[in-house]
Amino acid sequence: MQDKIETKLEILADAAKYDASCASGSAGKRSAGKGEKGIGSLTGGSGICHSFTPDGRCVSLLKILMTNYCIYDCHYCINRISSNVRRARFTVQEVVDLTINFYKRNYIEGLFLSSGIIKDPDYTMESMVKIAKSLRVDHHFKGYIHLKTIPNASPELQEEAGLYADRLSINIEMPTQKGLNTFAPEKNISDITGSMGRLRNKISEHKTSKTHTGKRLPRFAPGGQSTQMIVGADASDDKTILNSSVDLYQTHKLRRVYYSAFSPIPDASLILPLKPAPLIREHRLYQADWLLRFYDFSLDEILQGTKNNMLDMDHDPKLAWALRNRHLFPIDINKADKKLLLRIPGLGALTVQKIIKARKYCNLSWSDLTKMRVPLGKVKPFITASDYRPPAYLLDMESLGNQLKNTEQLDLFGRAV
Amino acid sequence: MKIIRISTLPGYEEWKDNAKSCLLDYIPPSSIAWKDINEPQDELFAGIKSKKTPPSSPHKPVLKVPKSFVELAQTACCHKDPERFSLLYKVFWRINFENRKLLSQSLDDDIILLNKMIKEVRRDSYKITAFLRFRETLYEGKEHYVAWYEPFHYTLERALPFFTKRFRNMNWSILTPYRAAHWDGENVLLQDNPDPSQVPDEDRIEKYWLTYYAGIFNPARVKKSAMLAQMPKKYWNNLPEAKLIPDLLHNSEAKAREMIDKIKA
Repeated sequence: MQDKIETKLEILADAAKYDASCASGSAGKRSAGKGEKGIGSLTGGSGICHSFTPDGRCVSLLKILMTNYCIYDCHYCINRISSNVRRARFTVQEVVDLTINFYKRNYIEGLFLSSGIIKDPDYTMESMVKIAKSLRVDHHFKGYIHLKTIPNASPELQEEAGLYADRLSINIEMPTQKGLNTFAPEKNISDITGSMGRLRNKISEHKTSKTHTGKRLPRFAPGGQSTQMIVGADASDDKTILNSSVDLYQTHKLRRVYYSAFSPIPDASLILPLKPAPLIREHRLYQADWLLRFYDFSLDEILQGTKNNMLDMDHDPKLAWALRNRHLFPIDINKADKKLLLRIPGLGALTVQKIIKARKYCNLSWSDLTKMRVPLGKVKPFITASDYRPPAYLLDMESLGNQLKNTEQLDLFGRAV
Repeated sequence: MKIIRISTLPGYEEWKDNAKSCLLDYIPPSSIAWKDINEPQDELFAGIKSKKTPPSSPHKPVLKVPKSFVELAQTACCHKDPERFSLLYKVFWRINFENRKLLSQSLDDDIILLNKMIKEVRRDSYKITAFLRFRETLYEGKEHYVAWYEPFHYTLERALPFFTKRFRNMNWSILTPYRAAHWDGENVLLQDNPDPSQVPDEDRIEKYWLTYYAGIFNPARVKKSAMLAQMPKKYWNNLPEAKLIPDLLHNSEAKAREMIDKIKA
């Protein structure tokens, strides 16, 4: 027999699994010092993945909805008011107890709390803030807290949330207002970005400013903000989606934009597609997002020459770019600077670092690359080494793209999702 | 051939003392057979006396290593490979007599092996912090949290700072096949070869964790290989939720189809 909490957990964890984010990092380090009360720590870095489910995703946080009752009717959402799902609602105390009990057993890094809207946005947000506050104040909880703030909740409540949470997020859901009009009629893009803007200002104010007595301001969402976009429910192309991401990173200083391939949900609205969006599309978007943030690519470079403003599904975006810009290759791995090395398909940021370190001592040869476990099949056409030059015809071959189709390694983007 | 048996775990201190005196005697790596505690004492070699190699230089070696070597050697000693001690001695020897900058030669065969060991130990030390699960019990009337954990290497000690920081105000015990660590809020007490039957079979919260784990899984997105890459089966013994995986996988296709059928209907 299931007890009450089990039933609620089943419903409210199930409802939260469509949220892509699981990250629990980038809020710095902390722990209870000697003689201090409380439990928990942040280890710095990207947080610990305590388990993995058979979908390959990491379980780092207790990711639940406070309730899946909702007064809104967003079509892509399993919890919209017109859906027939089982409903449940946790009390403030139940969420606090579950978090502490899970944490003490080393199941989780902390809590990721989101919620359907009950009564009105402020009422909902207030309960969520109570949970975070109780964890921090009553239990001196030093673990991670991520609150999904409620759009349209009052600025005061959102700001209070920032005092207890390590990260705040508001889902943008769709890249355009047009998409929202169709699928989330109660949501408004300028309200959402307005909230992001306010929080961005608070976050930077608390990081840099001091009080008039010279004290530092209290922590305010030190892990920054993130958001999530649903991919493949509306007709937006990859260019529209990535444009919107670039804007979110630049204007609102978001730490992460998550992409969630639309997947059919039970009891779905009739205006939704029947088929799931291909996971590979979500994967390509993450790769492009990575290139934008860590590989010094511009959006124009990533999209230049693509068909219908959609990323190439057969090749990762870096390889696709290289195939379109063959005149820039081969690149000499013993001479090229870091920026250029990062453009070589098959060389990740870590390998590039290894190359730069190793070539201080010797001229790198083909066998050195083997030792570094570089994917040789993939880099072969694009590099020269001390004892290696690609045959001239390789880069001219029409079929090069086809040959390189299956060189993609299983990578760890799943971890970021 | 000199045989040196390191009888402690992970064995760094003992290795270090032996390695220093061997190096001072100019005994080359090829003349020492390093054994670890798990290797049977070899009768055949036991009777053979170690021969001293004549010193190749009249001066005593200086025995200097870069600071980073100490940390690397401590880490590598936690590896379960019995070859770790001889590899370390070889590197130690080469740093002193061949190349002081050997450690930065990331393409040298010995360094590749050493780095691989270190990487595996670091990963295993991380996995303890991730996959260890406490169970609640009462000890002398007080809440006490106990875990049984089977690390792949000898990584209990390396992981302890994480647990003493995070769970400073809890009383806990971590039991591994080779050693246990007990924490009373202030001090760690180590105990060799603990008794696994001291670990409670149940925990009042564990059923909620299992419910959560099953609930957060999305049957429409099965990616078993991605899961196994991060959570290989050798760790499953430590994880109460792992017993759910076969059923979750088995039922996922049916569940996903049910969802789509419902939409179509």
